[in-house]
Amino acid sequence: MAAPVSPSPPVSPSPAATADLAATPRRHLPPVARALLGGLVVAAPVVLIGILILAFAPGYQVRVAYAGFVNLILVVALQVFMGNSNIGSFGHSAFVGLGAYGVAILATPLAAKKLSIPNAPFGLADIALDPTLAAILALAVVFVVAVVSGLVICRLAGIAASIVTLSFLIIVHGAFIHYTDLFKGAQAFFGIPTVVGLPGAIAAAVAVIVVARLFKDSAAGVQLRASADDILAARAFAVDVRRLRFVAWVISALIAASAGILYAYFMGTVIARAFYFQQVFLTLAMLIMGGMRTVSGAVVGTAILTIGLELIRSLENGPTILGVQLPEMLGLSGLTLGAVIVLGMALKPNGIMGRLELDEILARWLARPGAR
Amino acid sequence: MDYLVQQIVNALAFGAEYALLALGLALVFSIMGLVNFAHGEIIAIAGYAVFFAVGLGLGSPIAAVLVAVAMGPIVAVAFERVAFRPVRNAPPTTGLLTAFGVSIVVQNLLTLFVSPRPRAVSVFGPLNQTVFVGPYAISSLQVIELAVTLVAIAGLVVFLNRSLLGLAIRAAARDFATVRLMGIRANRVIATAFALSGLLAGIVTVFMLARRGSVEPDFGAAPVIKAFVACVLGGFGSLAGAAVGGLMLGILDVAILVALPQKYGGLRDAITFLIVGGVLVWRPQGLLGRTVELGDKEI
Repeated sequence: MAAPVSPSPPVSPSPAATADLAATPRRHLPPVARALLGGLVVAAPVVLIGILILAFAPGYQVRVAYAGFVNLILVVALQVFMGNSNIGSFGHSAFVGLGAYGVAILATPLAAKKLSIPNAPFGLADIALDPTLAAILALAVVFVVAVVSGLVICRLAGIAASIVTLSFLIIVHGAFIHYTDLFKGAQAFFGIPTVVGLPGAIAAAVAVIVVARLFKDSAAGVQLRASADDILAARAFAVDVRRLRFVAWVISALIAASAGILYAYFMGTVIARAFYFQQVFLTLAMLIMGGMRTVSGAVVGTAILTIGLELIRSLENGPTILGVQLPEMLGLSGLTLGAVIVLGMALKPNGIMGRLELDEILARWLARPGAR
Repeated sequence: MDYLVQQIVNALAFGAEYALLALGLALVFSIMGLVNFAHGEIIAIAGYAVFFAVGLGLGSPIAAVLVAVAMGPIVAVAFERVAFRPVRNAPPTTGLLTAFGVSIVVQNLLTLFVSPRPRAVSVFGPLNQTVFVGPYAISSLQVIELAVTLVAIAGLVVFLNRSLLGLAIRAAARDFATVRLMGIRANRVIATAFALSGLLAGIVTVFMLARRGSVEPDFGAAPVIKAFVACVLGGFGSLAGAAVGGLMLGILDVAILVALPQKYGGLRDAITFLIVGGVLVWRPQGLLGRTVELGDKEI
């Protein structure tokens, strides 16, 4: 045994250690600050893309980009649950729908409500709240739903839990479609105040990415990831796996609901089928393609699939390229999406990003010998 | 009384269909941990195969049955070879997403090259007639469905218990590594499991076509989701659990439809799933599932 080293007189570092310190100064930051900084690094490309769109893109593309940012927030929400607990979820689109319908019901002006939901229960047809207050109340409702559903889902493990999240999605969708007095059924709910623009969505995306990184590197996140890798070892270290899954489920539900709120406040109209299988598959594909273990994977997957699908969709409508009118090909975007998924999974089974975040890759790259 | 008997037969027939689908899913899942969301597309392709066979002049129902039942295993084995083999050792979510990918590709190919609209297939119409058993009028299709399901499950049990490959499949569900150490080829075991699963899907195709009389690109998607819930209800990965879960789900479905006023008929699925959720709170591992020792097959 070496003699205990007193910490007070700072030992002068060796030259090699100094070089190492200079190369990766963040190594000595506290974990929270490191996660915060990492989150901002991951969010940087998102901000860059957002600013480019704000500066140069025409109106139609701003709409597409906005939908992309909403998807990004949902994919990050999925990452918070799936990436840390390693349980697949099909249910988060239900929270998106609950958030969107929540603000639709609470914040829509009375005149529009008289047309759409005149018979709403609990006197909801006669109130129109301030959008911010409506958003907070919608999040509160989602919190309650997430707690109740989470109590069931966190008792299960693996695939059984995933299938129950799928049941949850179908149950909530059934309520949207059949409780017409409150949700206006399968028809579009319109007249929601449009109070958020693209800058708001960009800011929300950055905030959500940072929250996801903070959770991932928090004690709860690390323990949950450990339980996903080896549940026996985690339990042996007294990790309360069910409680951690529950926490991740509720946090991710709230993030997903905020995606729905942003969606409703930009589009001004919501429709139940927007929060169903199509959205579920698309966002799952984004997350798993990008790599669900990292927040960076969520960002990269969303960016690639959003841009790629938009390109294909313009082909699908039969554009004219170099004077040649291409035929209209319905189903092409779906076909390409499927093919990209199958090929991508065969070539990169762990997703594009694998295990390292963007900032960790950057730090390694900076720390490599001869970087300076 | 008449109504009651009809509804009981109806419930058993629905349950039989779910059980066949759930067994197909559980066979594949128990061996390689793959959640095969593309199972419904096996049904869809088999359905379109019947549609084209009839279009090419194949008029007899028996030949059409053979087409459907033969297409099931062919398509299932083809899926395995093309899409699922490369992700065999990947994380479960990867296999899940691959299955989604296959499902999306097939549905869109059918949309692109056939039609997004339903195509009529009336060749199995003769199966669906009203017959009288004593004083009760019941559908012949439902009786056939029950009988065929019983035969298929009996055949499956015999195969899994008596043949070498069947034993290998059951053993692989417990511990694939040891099965391979015994000198059994992994590819053969998995291909056989897929073929069996496809065979069951082919049988279901016949019943679904007989009942609906048409086929469309997302023909098989909705029943397969129900079958997954049946698997969870019975205990995921357990074959007996899949059969029991399927039967229970069919009975639950019909019971809710009977009990619910017409106006709320659309809420059937939501209520069924709520009840299943309640059962899972009570027994998280499913009705017949056991919390097994945490080995490489822990789910």
